[in-house]
Amino acid sequence: MAGKGGSAPATYSPSPTVQKKKTSIFQEDWVRPDGRGFHQCRPAFFRTGAVNAASGSAYAEFGNTKIIVSVFGPRESKKAMMYSDIGRLNCNVSYTTFASPVRGQGSDHKEYTAMLHKALEGAIILESFPKTTVDVFALVLESGGSDLPVVISCASLALADAGIMMYDLVASISVSCLSKNLVIDPIFEEENSQDGSLMITCMPSRYEITQLTFTGEWSTPKIDEGMQLCLDACAKLAKIMRSCLKEAASDSQE
Amino acid sequence: MVGLSLGEQHFIQGGIAQDLRCDGRKRLTYRPIYVETGVIPQANGSARVRMGATDVIASVKAELGKPSSLQPNKGKVSIHIDCSSTAEPAFEGRGGDELSAELSNALQSCLLGGKSGEGAGIDLSSLIVIEGKICWDLYIDGLVVSSDGNLLDTLGAAIKAALSNTGIPRVQVAAGESSDDQPEVDISDEEFLQFDTSGVPVIVTLTKVGRHYIVDATSEEESQMSSAISISVNRQGYICGITKRGGAGMDPSIILDMVSVAKHVSEQLINKLDSEIASAEAEHQE
Repeated sequence: MAGKGGSAPATYSPSPTVQKKKTSIFQEDWVRPDGRGFHQCRPAFFRTGAVNAASGSAYAEFGNTKIIVSVFGPRESKKAMMYSDIGRLNCNVSYTTFASPVRGQGSDHKEYTAMLHKALEGAIILESFPKTTVDVFALVLESGGSDLPVVISCASLALADAGIMMYDLVASISVSCLSKNLVIDPIFEEENSQDGSLMITCMPSRYEITQLTFTGEWSTPKIDEGMQLCLDACAKLAKIMRSCLKEAASDSQE
Repeated sequence: MVGLSLGEQHFIQGGIAQDLRCDGRKRLTYRPIYVETGVIPQANGSARVRMGATDVIASVKAELGKPSSLQPNKGKVSIHIDCSSTAEPAFEGRGGDELSAELSNALQSCLLGGKSGEGAGIDLSSLIVIEGKICWDLYIDGLVVSSDGNLLDTLGAAIKAALSNTGIPRVQVAAGESSDDQPEVDISDEEFLQFDTSGVPVIVTLTKVGRHYIVDATSEEESQMSSAISISVNRQGYICGITKRGGAGMDPSIILDMVSVAKHVSEQLINKLDSEIASAEAEHQE
């Protein structure tokens, strides 16, 4: 993680809240706070093998959003569970208490666990590990916006690192609708004042969508545009994920 | 639900491919819908909707509360669904929690719009009493009494009917110093404001079985699905929310096709629902 230079300890003052200026921010010619274009994603950083004790793990950093995912398994299912001739997937997404700007406020994201499960179950070949369970635990270290898509992409990378058989890597991207503009990969402030959002998880090589969620009001041409944006971005993201895996594999061979 | 034999599975899939489902319906036909309103006298609004054997009850209760600091001029709405164990023995205790959570989330994203409040089916700013201090909190609760597939559509219809049956009591604010933290309010027992539900969307679930989509699947048909997409459409034809269920991947062009089919089907559904709700309300008043 990038740290600040070793200057003399400066006094810390939290960034001033911009709530009072909220209504005037989103005009037609609005510029994104981090200077990106509307259709530009944040630079993605992925690293596998972050957790030694896990079968597979990955760390992802997209701007201020930092996620770590560990995969354990396949390991024996609990005795209480019924016999099943396909494998089981167990997911959990949790937020650290320091992840959000206000301490402890990440708890309104309970549905992320179910959504991670739905996004991954279409990509994993469950028949390859019958009677056992694969656990995927995601921890959001810092929530800088667009958390769930980064969690999903990082989780699929961790699964690949653990050697779980999958049909394809799962890449995920979200798009926010701010008045009439579509901005890709929104940050925290943009998400809080969005008029609508679209999140797509897809398997780029198979050109299949495993999960999609729309909120807010959308007209059909906008849906078209949004989906196309997401699919292009997912394809590029999958290339980055693949190159990260190849690097890790060639490192371990040396 | 009893498991299906291989022959029954092929029968269902083959029938859908030939546009003739097990109960004689075409692929895009809904089961007969029955709406009753005012079934729970103690709630501010309530409705019971039956689609075939699927039976759900929705109730709306309004309580005075404080608006959130991020949106001081809007009221709050929370939607919660409960799957009763009378519907399925599997729902007893914690068994129905997963399905309830999934349904609650889907309904919240369809009806409550984006975080800024745009595109919400329910006009939240009509719930405000005193800006920044007092607003109405609407608690919408759904109960699944009997489940035979297509729970999301039925719950969406029930919530729409319950909201049109909802009467928010008129509130009189005692004229006092405006610097009071808690102004006195007088909730009238007599006069009620009817809620405006023309903007509330309906939810259309398209279930993909084989290469075709069906609307209003029974639970047998749902067991054969590869995936299902629930699309919420409002009267103006705008899409208010989409969620996908089922793990199988889908080609993006299929999804766009499903969206246009859903828009087409939703027109008929909205008209049917509106006429059913109007007749239920008329009956109720007699």
